[in-house]
Amino acid sequence: MTNLASRIAGTALVLPAILIVGMLFVYPFFLSLINSFKTKDGWGLQNYYTIWELYRGDVLYTIWIAVASLAVLLVFGILLGGFLRLHFNGVIEFLFKIPLFIPFVVVGHAMRVFLAPNGTLNALLSMAGLISLDNPPSLAYTSAGLIIALAWKNLSMALLLMMGAFRGVDNSYIEAAKNVGAGRLRIIFNVLVPMAKGAIAVSSVLIFTSIIGNFSIPVMMGNTSGPQVMMVDLYYQIVYQNNYGVANAIGVVAYLVSMGAAIYYLRMVTKK
Amino acid sequence: MRTTVPRFVLKAVGYALALFVIFGPLSSLVIWSFAEKWYWPHLFPQEYGLFYWKKVLGGSMIRSLILSFEIGVIVTILALVLTVPLSYLLARYNIPAKAIILVVFLLPQAFPQLPVFTNTMVLMYKYDLVGTVPGVVLIHLVGALVFSVWTLVSVFRSIPQSLEEAAINMGASRVRVFFTITLPLAAPGIAAASLLVFLYSLDEFTGSLLIGAPFVITMPIYMYNSAMGYEMQVSSITALLLMLPGLLLLFLLEKYLKSEYLASFGRG
Repeated sequence: MTNLASRIAGTALVLPAILIVGMLFVYPFFLSLINSFKTKDGWGLQNYYTIWELYRGDVLYTIWIAVASLAVLLVFGILLGGFLRLHFNGVIEFLFKIPLFIPFVVVGHAMRVFLAPNGTLNALLSMAGLISLDNPPSLAYTSAGLIIALAWKNLSMALLLMMGAFRGVDNSYIEAAKNVGAGRLRIIFNVLVPMAKGAIAVSSVLIFTSIIGNFSIPVMMGNTSGPQVMMVDLYYQIVYQNNYGVANAIGVVAYLVSMGAAIYYLRMVTKK
Repeated sequence: MRTTVPRFVLKAVGYALALFVIFGPLSSLVIWSFAEKWYWPHLFPQEYGLFYWKKVLGGSMIRSLILSFEIGVIVTILALVLTVPLSYLLARYNIPAKAIILVVFLLPQAFPQLPVFTNTMVLMYKYDLVGTVPGVVLIHLVGALVFSVWTLVSVFRSIPQSLEEAAINMGASRVRVFFTITLPLAAPGIAAASLLVFLYSLDEFTGSLLIGAPFVITMPIYMYNSAMGYEMQVSSITALLLMLPGLLLLFLLEKYLKSEYLASFGRG
């Protein structure tokens, strides 16, 4: 094959995939940036004023939900990931991979049923005598329920990321700490965490972004009155108000909030 | 005096806790799927039975199930055909405009899907793709191609280049080397990637809701609709069926699913 012919063949092989992602994601991504400035009477910042008036509380609420879920996941990931780094346990590792393989909508539905006033959790708690079913607490449709659902779905991701981070810590440091009599918790917090700081920070950014962008769990779990997360606001703007300008502006705010991950990925590309 | 809890007790508590955290929420689905009569304030159903299972398995859910599998197979085949050569070239060569190509495939990883897909929907309206199966296949392909490219690049990178060079030194053409050396070595990784792509398409919700509903109802949309309509048994049975392929995949192929393949899976 001549050089030119192989070049043409190569281009024909790689172009369709690039075109599909380019046309159906990259191009609409830039459209959403541009259209966020489009208003009924021309161009301007009107959509962003609307967000400031109507949705600034929801923007903060979204960040708070993501930060709270992330905090739960970090505590869990660091403790269990650290423990598994010191003592390999295939069964536990396997169990916590399961949430990754359960579809988002199924998690949303299962958590609604599990956390409902007459749900399985309350049934078990009342059998244990911890709560009274005459006045049952309900977690479904509350912020706590939303945080539980988002954290549960991301358990596997958090554990995989933390285990990856801790795998990078050399065994000799752990042995040295053991030799001077450090317990497991001390090894985790005084050796593993400080040495894997960078990897933990990156993992946090990735988990945070994926929670900010999640739509299916909040749309099923979110409270019917009171604050909503940005993705649900955006969806309602499209479906009920048919207002694409405001919807796109909400999208742009969401992009800004998830900028951390974008910067990380861009750096990864420029490094290679 | 300090009493120490025996080790096996601690271990048992740990296992029990882990099992509860993982299977507690899922057990609610099983209970609801068999509940024929369940009135407040009873803790558990008064009557169990298979009535709703028979109803769901003989009803319109089956159409959504078949549709979802068909879409999943088409998306998987298209994604493999379109990304195997691209990923190989990205993993091995300094092809022109490589940085731009990588950015194209990174944007969907870095930014939320919903705000972009609403604009994709507006584009698709122009070509009458909204509410059609090709439209749903295309919107699934976006995520599938991105996931497939990153997974396959890591599969091809894990194959030592020296094996290919040896064959080339002995006079084999690059195309022949790819088909006789690289592809067989990459086969297990490609198989794992394609199963994950299939699972992605099967579980995809956001794009299907925007582009497909209410005309093309995939299984996640069917489940969502019945859950939002408080058809508890129907939605719970659909949810159980929907999570089955993923669990099967995990149980059967756990050792092939390397964590780097899973890194970008399960975002949406």
